[in-house]
Amino acid sequence: MKQLCTTRDVPAGGCHRIELADRPPLAVFNLDGRFYVTDDTCTHGEASLCDGEIDCDDGVVECPYHQGAFEIATGRPAGAPCSIPLRIYRVEVKDEAIYAAIDETEAACP
Amino acid sequence: MPVIEIDAQDAVFDCAPGDTLLRAGLRAGLGMPYECGVGACGCCRCEVIEGEVADQWPEAPGLSDRDRRKGRVLACQTRPLGDARIRLRLDPRIEPVVRPARRTARLAAVNDITHDIREFVFRSDAPADFLPGQYAMLALPGLDRERAYSMANLPNGAGEWHFRIRRVIGGGASEALFSQLAPGAEIGLDGPYGMAWLRTDSPRDIVCIAGGSGLAPMLSVARGVAAEPSLAGRRVDFFYGGRTPADICGQPELAALPGFGEAIHYHAAVSDADAAHRAGWSGQIGPIHQLVESTLGERLGSAEFYLAGPPPMVEALQQLLQLTHKLPPERIHFDRFF
Ligand SMILES: Cc1cc2nc3c(=O)[nH]c(=O)nc-3n(C[C@H](O)[C@H](O)[C@H](O)COP(=O)(O)OP(=O)(O)OC[C@H]3O[C@@H](n4cnc5c(N)ncnc54)[C@H](O)[C@@H]3O)c2cc1C
Ligand code: FES
Ligand code: FES
Repeated sequence: MKQLCTTRDVPAGGCHRIELADRPPLAVFNLDGRFYVTDDTCTHGEASLCDGEIDCDDGVVECPYHQGAFEIATGRPAGAPCSIPLRIYRVEVKDEAIYAAIDETEAACP
Repeated sequence: MPVIEIDAQDAVFDCAPGDTLLRAGLRAGLGMPYECGVGACGCCRCEVIEGEVADQWPEAPGLSDRDRRKGRVLACQTRPLGDARIRLRLDPRIEPVVRPARRTARLAAVNDITHDIREFVFRSDAPADFLPGQYAMLALPGLDRERAYSMANLPNGAGEWHFRIRRVIGGGASEALFSQLAPGAEIGLDGPYGMAWLRTDSPRDIVCIAGGSGLAPMLSVARGVAAEPSLAGRRVDFFYGGRTPADICGQPELAALPGFGEAIHYHAAVSDADAAHRAGWSGQIGPIHQLVESTLGERLGSAEFYLAGPPPMVEALQQLLQLTHKLPPERIHFDRFF
């Protein structure tokens, strides 16, 4: 597990982009106090999901480019034109620190 | 003429009578996001902040309930009734290379390609200006909606537009084309549109994959490679997937290109195993994405991909390329034929 940030970095209903060396950026989401980590780059094109709109009621993030959408908890595509799931990572929160299993082989999208 | 302003982007354009927001923006040379032009893909969503608009297809599949709740519209299905201010994100990387324009064209010839695909050749007075892989919107007499059809030939000064159109039983446009339109008949032709055009600056080998009626734009891309001096000798793998052996097409056109058999290769598969056995088909059987994977092997990861055909085929290929083989979406150019 790798520490990405702390819970204070991610406002409720918001998102925080993490740039790491040698891999595509990650997005940390806060949905009503639950934290989720996904890839930050949309699977439809070159766009950062952290610049998109988060819809807490539906638990989805909308891409800022073509407004395609993904379910944050599962990575499942939730709106055209997105059809390829977003990669998600297992998360642990310990004493305000947010960790993600970024080296684990892919969590299969249900 | 209504004047349209794009919020916070310093862009203003005129919208000619009858034009949608999308087409007017593209005619003005703006990088308006879109893909299908026919209300199905959802790529052209925008918000209308000020002004009255008319939605020509409120139930369009490109909008979800969430979009409707948020008051979004599809730029490709929305006509302004007066000046308007809209919100969307322009992308300078996708500004149209050839700006779309309306023309009148006349049907010049019809040729059979398979049992249900015909070539329709139209001629316009103005040159046929487009990039290999693009499509045009055809307005046929008696139909209230235009339909998208991709060009199979290359841009030319003679104003020739070649289409490969598949007959859809009960389909408004395809039935009109197959049974009513006579040589000499006039139609409206608006184009070019589409983002899946040949990238001549890419250094990679090229893979074209067509299913069903997706033959036309892939032929244009392959022809474009063969005609482009800077791409001389570039490897092209051309795949065609059909349901039965009678659906298989495209090889004669490719075989006419310089470099066929050396740099340019044709592969086909049929998906209906029973039909294949009945017809004594000795070639590949199975979905086209399997043939693509087994034929390309190691080469798959380093190629530039062009895809055209029915949405399920394109989606199966996206899964293969993006999920299994981790290709970035920028290397996959496609049109889904909704
Ligand atoms: C980018 C693109 C390129 C294409 N290129 C080719 C090609 O090269 N060759 C080819 O054979 N086909 C092509 N197609 C498919 C073609 O555009 C037609 O969908 C197909 O020929 C069937 O049309 P039809 O009028 O015969 O059938 P119809 O059943 O009369 O029309 C079907 C189409 O109309 C849409 N539609 C239904 N109701 C409405 C409404 N109220 N308002 C707006 N739209 C509505 C449907 O979603 C569907 O796309 C392409 C499609 C797209 C999107
Ligand atoms: S790039 Fe995200 S929806 Fe198109
Ligand atoms: S829905 Fe408008 S471009 Fe596809």
